[in-house]
Amino acid sequence: MMKMKDENYNRLINLLRESGVKLDSKEEIEAGVIKRISETRHSAFNIDNVVNFFFGWAYIGWVRRSLIAASVILILIFVYQQGVILRQINYLSRRTIVTEGPRSSFSSGAFKKELLIFKFTGMKLPSDNINISQKQLDQLLESVNELQDKYRDLINLIDSDPELKKYIEKKLNEKNRTKINL
Amino acid sequence: MGGNLTSFRKLIEQTTPFAYSVAFRMLGDDDQAKDVVQETMVTIWQKLKKIRSAGGYKTWIYRIVVNKCYDQLRKRKRNPEFSPDEKTWEIISNRISEEPSSELENSETAGIINILTQKLSPKQKAIFVLSELEQMSNDEISEITGMSKTGIKANLHYARQRISEMMEKYLS
Repeated sequence: MMKMKDENYNRLINLLRESGVKLDSKEEIEAGVIKRISETRHSAFNIDNVVNFFFGWAYIGWVRRSLIAASVILILIFVYQQGVILRQINYLSRRTIVTEGPRSSFSSGAFKKELLIFKFTGMKLPSDNINISQKQLDQLLESVNELQDKYRDLINLIDSDPELKKYIEKKLNEKNRTKINL
Repeated sequence: MGGNLTSFRKLIEQTTPFAYSVAFRMLGDDDQAKDVVQETMVTIWQKLKKIRSAGGYKTWIYRIVVNKCYDQLRKRKRNPEFSPDEKTWEIISNRISEEPSSELENSETAGIINILTQKLSPKQKAIFVLSELEQMSNDEISEITGMSKTGIKANLHYARQRISEMMEKYLS
């Protein structure tokens, strides 16, 4: 059954192949084509002519190759620039940006730290490293005055008690600290 | 220009038979096939300046013909109902039982191809015509239709199967 089916199919296909297609009016087709071409040539504003006039240069071999090369270069530059921009964005996103507002209280930890720096740098603040506002400066002076008052009170207290003075001097010597002339 | 036209006439003379054969087998209509061939020739004339080498020009012409046939087939209303044309099946039955079989007339060829490919899509029809009737290789068909070789094989298998099924049904 299958063989019969294939045989019929093959016979029919062979018949169609062998019969071919007879073309009896080749001249008619040729005349039709020439007529159509003449009509096209006589029409002054043919859209193809306009397109060719403006963009015909795009079919010139070296122009096409140059355009391809230029577009490849532009794409590479674009990709490179995108890479640079992305790198910059990543770098900036990793950086910590601290915006300092006025300090809310005198006793904040950071300010105490600054005062400590001030104290241990021998009252000389490295002006290019630490920037402080006017308010912070006022607070600093206030605290220095307060500290000086307390220091004077302490000296008076020690002076009034010789035993305490001796004890403090002894303790200071024991720790090999710089001798403070009380 | 005159010289160009003379050369072009020669090109028409050489090209028309095979272009007409494909168009007629695909469309099954003499007038439409001639129209397609004429349009193809006009397109070739318009694009002739852009051709830089003669290599592969035949494939290019086939491609133009096939594309124009696609356009024609798409314009036609697809008939969802299959109409078994008993007269044509009778002709087929007589012709394949003849020993040796005489050549078919154009109208008979058109009728047979139309009835066999009635249920095929324009693409399947093109592949059937190019492969089975024009006896082109899969590489050539791939260049003409832009389909992959696997796609061509699959469509051809489908077309053969449908045609064989119809033949089995209506030739008994």
